[in-house]
Amino acid sequence: MSILNAQTLRLRGWAPKAGWLAWRNYDFQLTTYAVLLTFFGLAMAYSNSVGSSHLALTINSPFVRTIMWAVVAVVVLGLTTVFDYKWLRSFSWPLYFINIFLLLVTLRLGSGTGEAGSAARWVVIAGFQFQFSELAKIIMVVVFAAYLADRQPTIKSPGTIIGILVILVPPWILVMLQPDLGTSLVLVATVCGLLFMSGASLFWLGTLATAVAAAIPFVWNAMADYQKARLLTLVNFWADPSSVDTQGAGYQISQAKLAVETGGLAGKGLTNGNVDLPVATTDFVWGVLSEELGFIGALVVLVLFTLLIWRLLVSAWRSSDPFAMFLACGMATMIFFQVLVNVGMVIGLMPVTGIPLPFITYGGASLVCLAAGLGTIQSTNLRRERPEW
Amino acid sequence: MNVTTSGGDLRNAYRFGAFALAVVIGITSLSAKMVSLQLLSGSQAAQAGDNTQATGTDTTQASRGLIYDATGHPLVKNVVDFSVTVTPADLPLKDEPTVAARLSSVLSLDPIYIETQIDSATGSLTIPVKIADGVSSEVARFIEENSDQLPGVEVVEASKRDYLTKELFADIIGYEGQITALQYAKLKALGYSSEDVVGQAGLENYYEQDLRGTPGTQTVALASGKPIPGLVTESKKAVPGDSLTLNIDTSEQQLAYQALSWGLEKSNVTRGVIIVENPQNGKILAMVSLPTYDDQLFADGISQTNFQKLLDNPDQPLLNKAVGSQYAPGSTFKLVTGTAGLQDGVIDTTSTINSQPFVAFGGYRYNEWDGQGWGPLNIYQGVAYSSDTFFYQLAQMVGLDRLTYWADQYGFGKPTGIDLPETATGIVPTNAWKASTQGQTMYEGELMQAGIGQGYDVATPMQLLNAYCAMANGGNLWQPQIVKSIASTDGTTTTVTDIQPVLLNRLPVSQDTLETMRVATRQVVTSRHTYNLVDLPIAVAGKTGTAEFGVPDRLNRLPYHEWFVGYTPGNPYSDDFTKPDSQLAVVAFLYGANTWGNMATEVVKYYMMLHYKLPGYRDPTNPRTAGYTQSWIWRTTNYYGSPNRD
Repeated sequence: MSILNAQTLRLRGWAPKAGWLAWRNYDFQLTTYAVLLTFFGLAMAYSNSVGSSHLALTINSPFVRTIMWAVVAVVVLGLTTVFDYKWLRSFSWPLYFINIFLLLVTLRLGSGTGEAGSAARWVVIAGFQFQFSELAKIIMVVVFAAYLADRQPTIKSPGTIIGILVILVPPWILVMLQPDLGTSLVLVATVCGLLFMSGASLFWLGTLATAVAAAIPFVWNAMADYQKARLLTLVNFWADPSSVDTQGAGYQISQAKLAVETGGLAGKGLTNGNVDLPVATTDFVWGVLSEELGFIGALVVLVLFTLLIWRLLVSAWRSSDPFAMFLACGMATMIFFQVLVNVGMVIGLMPVTGIPLPFITYGGASLVCLAAGLGTIQSTNLRRERPEW
Repeated sequence: MNVTTSGGDLRNAYRFGAFALAVVIGITSLSAKMVSLQLLSGSQAAQAGDNTQATGTDTTQASRGLIYDATGHPLVKNVVDFSVTVTPADLPLKDEPTVAARLSSVLSLDPIYIETQIDSATGSLTIPVKIADGVSSEVARFIEENSDQLPGVEVVEASKRDYLTKELFADIIGYEGQITALQYAKLKALGYSSEDVVGQAGLENYYEQDLRGTPGTQTVALASGKPIPGLVTESKKAVPGDSLTLNIDTSEQQLAYQALSWGLEKSNVTRGVIIVENPQNGKILAMVSLPTYDDQLFADGISQTNFQKLLDNPDQPLLNKAVGSQYAPGSTFKLVTGTAGLQDGVIDTTSTINSQPFVAFGGYRYNEWDGQGWGPLNIYQGVAYSSDTFFYQLAQMVGLDRLTYWADQYGFGKPTGIDLPETATGIVPTNAWKASTQGQTMYEGELMQAGIGQGYDVATPMQLLNAYCAMANGGNLWQPQIVKSIASTDGTTTTVTDIQPVLLNRLPVSQDTLETMRVATRQVVTSRHTYNLVDLPIAVAGKTGTAEFGVPDRLNRLPYHEWFVGYTPGNPYSDDFTKPDSQLAVVAFLYGANTWGNMATEVVKYYMMLHYKLPGYRDPTNPRTAGYTQSWIWRTTNYYGSPNRD
């Protein structure tokens, strides 16, 4: 696999084109939806900081921190927008190895917090926790998009699928070792979405899916008991009897459903939620949102997500560059999958996995990485060569 | 394939469409679920009166009333009992090992044991199988909170009965059990649910509605239709059930139990009854029916094996035979025939009837019990010798209608009204009764049989004792009462209501007649018909009875029941039976006894000795000296040698 040779041509064309960015192609709708969703995230962070007892805001409260991260995210959004996304295709392989390095660092130095269990997912840099698996999601979208763009001539061959799986496996294993089932699922979902949208052979995709489904029982039986137990721990807290306590996943689920149910049509009002949710700021933020903002608020958020995904698909459809198209498709898949699984988990349609809700879940890394991703999409919009119609 | 970096063939409209469709379907499913969670269950919450919190009303069971003996010692306690059950129907088979493992970690039980319990449960899959009881409240709460991780598992919080006296009071107190369809139909209107536990026997059954109390209600926050532990927002307190105080003293019951079980053991009989009553007001002072059962087995949840064992026992341990089974009263019924003869003026105290070896009538011989007779006898002698031929002829002279009239006056053939489930009411054969059951009227021979309490006559031990009490107290037929008083509470103040004696019937009989009968029953003892009671330092009067029943053995002898009803005068040392002042009457009944003499008199005698602490009395708490010694029995009782068992 050649790494750099195909990109030298694009390096040459970068400088002159940078001058005529087509700002009329900037997708204001996309940015608006993302900003509105971030406001919902800020509202949730405020609610979690203030609480029903109306605590004073401190510098370390989720709300203040989210504002800080939102400022960073705006800067990142602007920078990635003006940055020529084609450079990303050129440097997709270095980015890939940087990503693997960062994931190794996380495994080596990472520490968990009590809140999210003992998984090692955070790396503390200069006093700020950073979750490189969030960055990994974005980087892998770039790497997959670049790979599939390169594979355009032979996109229908089974080699496309095998190649992308080979790329997927190293970071996937590193993420699983943290262990972070949520991110690993997002990676797999992104691969599947991208393969589908890139025009990969449906026959081979179907064959692969069938083979995987058929292999699951054999792999399961071949595994040692401790391996099974470790896997089960990821999805099911009960599998580890020593972790029996009232803060377990079963309690979270029943409380989250209670929170959603008691929200009603209009909700209890921001900060008025009174159902005890152990991880209200992160994975179960949807429970708080539904409880305090009610069905109306929840529906608004779901509609915003739908519009956002729609704008990403529009961006993909209009792009002339396959790399740009795959970037947009990858972002759309990633966001859609996270919304589906996170909300589904809270309302009892999906198993419990630690997947954050984009824009809403408290977390700087997630927000900044989303901003970087969306900025890149805007970058493709500005550099679109296809004429408008 | 034509590959370009621009142009329509890179963008596959079908795949974009499929992706967009997936997004629409996904978001729509989420929204639909949100609608069902927030709007549909939310509207139920609004109906419950709180539009921000799903709530439900839960009933809290009132603590069941307690039962005390006459001196205030508790016979029954309530203990809180958390038990964990698994409903096999709600537990998918594939989840069973997982759930068993989870339960084992919190209950400290072997998972294999749990699975075995679930798998070996017989009967319907919807019947919960008990896995553990006596579970701590912390563990119970934890299991409830994680119920969605434990399909089919439920925590049952119940107030459990702790029957402190077990076999001693089992026939009186009874036990609780799952409400039956029949009971539910009756009790539904009173707010019972089809899953309630109600009294099934004894006082638990008879006083069910008093003991139950008023259930309280509490409003609880709901999550997915299930109450969240600890989130009680509002409650109406449950009112505890009424407490019962019995007329029976535990020590008195122990004496009766000791006397009867001794008698059964010595005579190799398995089934017997002893009842002690105060003739002046109908208060029951002791009541033992053997064999009996341990009611704590029911409180703990009896196993099918043990329950079947009790059901299969031919001696019916679950039946209180004092009020639940009826037997031919035999010669004890001569009280009725004698009263009828005297009161109807057929005979007086001086007229005599000739007792003979047999009375021939209608081609049959009606034999004297000793095969000889005593010649002309007056009523005193007729009762004292328990002459059958005397009473055959007297019954003929009285006639069927008057005989059944007096039986009815004494309370035979109808409920005594005792505050226990009274499942047997006896039979007094009349022409109408026989016509309705056998299609013909009574023969005169059957009337003669009825005159000595044989044939169709049957009575419960309770009926018989109550009839003798009416004689001993001067003609008042009291309703027997187990319970002395009922204490009800509204949570703060307690009101004690004494149960007043209920007069069932004032017998239309002269005091002279009853005095004659009392003196006659005293002569049963003094004439040494009973042989053994005369040597007591107290005065006991009474009447023996032997009733043949069933199938003759190869020597053409029928098995027989043994009866003795005895009572003492107001001053037991006075030997004065002219006054209707008796304070103590006892009936003893032995089913299918095979002793030569009448063992029932021995049981009553032993009870009297224990009750009055007479010489010869042994400390009943000392197992080595309790009861009679073998040589003492040899010297003083008739059960080896006296033929006077009738």
